[in-house]
Amino acid sequence: MRNANHATGPSERDYQILSRMLSDAESLCRTQDALLVGQYSHLHGRIAALVELTAPIEGDEARP
Amino acid sequence: MMNPGSQDAALRDARQVPFMESSRLASLAALSRTELEALQLQKLRRQLTRLHRTSAYYRRRMDDAHIEPENLRSLDLFFDRFPFSTKADFLTDQTAYPPFGERLGIDRRQVALVNMTGGTSGQGQEIYGRSQHDVHMQGYLHALPWFLAGLRAGDLAINCVPAGGMTTGGWGPGEGLRIIGATAFHVGGSLSTDAKIDLMLKIGEVNFIYASTNYLHTLTEALMRRGLEPAQAFPTLRTLFIAAEGYPIEWAERIEALWGCRLQEGYGSTQCAGFGASTCADGALSATGGRGLMSLFEWESLIEVLDPVTLKPVASGEMGEMVVTNLSIEGSPVIRFRTGDAARFVSYRDTASGRAWNAIECGTIGRFDDMMKIRGNNVWPSAVDAAVFSHGEIVEYAGRVFTSVDGKTEVEVRLALSESVASCDPDACRQLIERVRTSIKERTNVWMTAVVCARSELPEFSYKARRWMDERQQGYRL
Repeated sequence: MRNANHATGPSERDYQILSRMLSDAESLCRTQDALLVGQYSHLHGRIAALVELTAPIEGDEARP
Repeated sequence: MMNPGSQDAALRDARQVPFMESSRLASLAALSRTELEALQLQKLRRQLTRLHRTSAYYRRRMDDAHIEPENLRSLDLFFDRFPFSTKADFLTDQTAYPPFGERLGIDRRQVALVNMTGGTSGQGQEIYGRSQHDVHMQGYLHALPWFLAGLRAGDLAINCVPAGGMTTGGWGPGEGLRIIGATAFHVGGSLSTDAKIDLMLKIGEVNFIYASTNYLHTLTEALMRRGLEPAQAFPTLRTLFIAAEGYPIEWAERIEALWGCRLQEGYGSTQCAGFGASTCADGALSATGGRGLMSLFEWESLIEVLDPVTLKPVASGEMGEMVVTNLSIEGSPVIRFRTGDAARFVSYRDTASGRAWNAIECGTIGRFDDMMKIRGNNVWPSAVDAAVFSHGEIVEYAGRVFTSVDGKTEVEVRLALSESVASCDPDACRQLIERVRTSIKERTNVWMTAVVCARSELPEFSYKARRWMDERQQGYRL
């Protein structure tokens, strides 16, 4: 997988950043702090939605 | 059956649960007063430094008071020098620089949520512009007291406060319930009380109810009218959480008995961007009898309780006006804002919580500007509420101050009786009315005329109750 510096366009770069953030948010959701777990889950949901919204569209790779 | 000693131990444990389940809260609870004040000073310095750069309104105030925020050495210096702001100051600022005024403190394009105060004062509505950061903070400042009161992810919650609109109370609860991970039904404002009850019965496993004090009263009354015992209808309910208004202690005792769960309370406002204090898990009734205490969330807001005349801090146990400074809010923050809210201050030294958080008394929050001067006496509606509702037979009332034809000030309270009492014999009814009048006199020093009316003649309130009309001016019209 290419890192953000080598991404071909802002959308793919954003998608890669968000994907990393999603992975971090998943880690946060494993907290033992019951006050924070809901907030982390909320954050995870927001990031997951943005991952969905920035996911490369099939065919992007094939375009010049 | 548990012996009293083990009951005490169980109660103590219940109060500790939120702090055992959140290491973040445990850290805040473990702070000494010196450590807490150091944290406040650090956050205050950050807030003022930012506002000196971004808000012309606050920059002028700091410059006039010769306050250099980066060099603010102590909280005392801030309390000595920083000028107060009032609602009138904010309205003037908004008029000069619409819509948010120069106090906004963030770029207007960063405003993600606009809130306004309710407009019940008649002076005008303050406008607040909140950033994305603040939207989460507003949610947190609702989730925090509810978490402390027992609400957890996955719980089923009923929010009886009208949602949406322009107020902080319309938006904060939704965000708070969402970020805590609860399944929330926002029934306030959109359903009649009977329709709410029907829905709650269909849902069944309700764990948490949030309502204004007055609406919890209305809901309880409606359930009883339908012959439903709240504790039996909702056996999984763990927490009733109220806000906004004062109440008599007898009412709180009756509510806990009827619903079979703890009553918890919070003090919140638009200026606090949510709740600024709550009972944590300790309850609106103290373990030793009497009123409970709401601990102030002092690491998020500085809350001073001052004598409204001398503007000096009141002693522990005395009533004063709450003055709020936001430490974490970035859009339209308030710095030393005189709220007009009246509360009884209790120093952390006089609480049994073991935390270094100052507190205010439950059930006695009032408004200084609601005060009516009647025959030389200062009368607060909350005092009459406390007198009237200490009699369980009264389900609602309305008060009116007016000028009689001969120019005297008269006060009339119309009392709606519960159905079981309304049909009792006239002598017993007269005695009840006399007892209510005496209670009012004891708490206000004013004898008021009391008459009975039908419940349907009095309004129902979905949020804050407005039970009083002052018609004295009309009596002087020619």
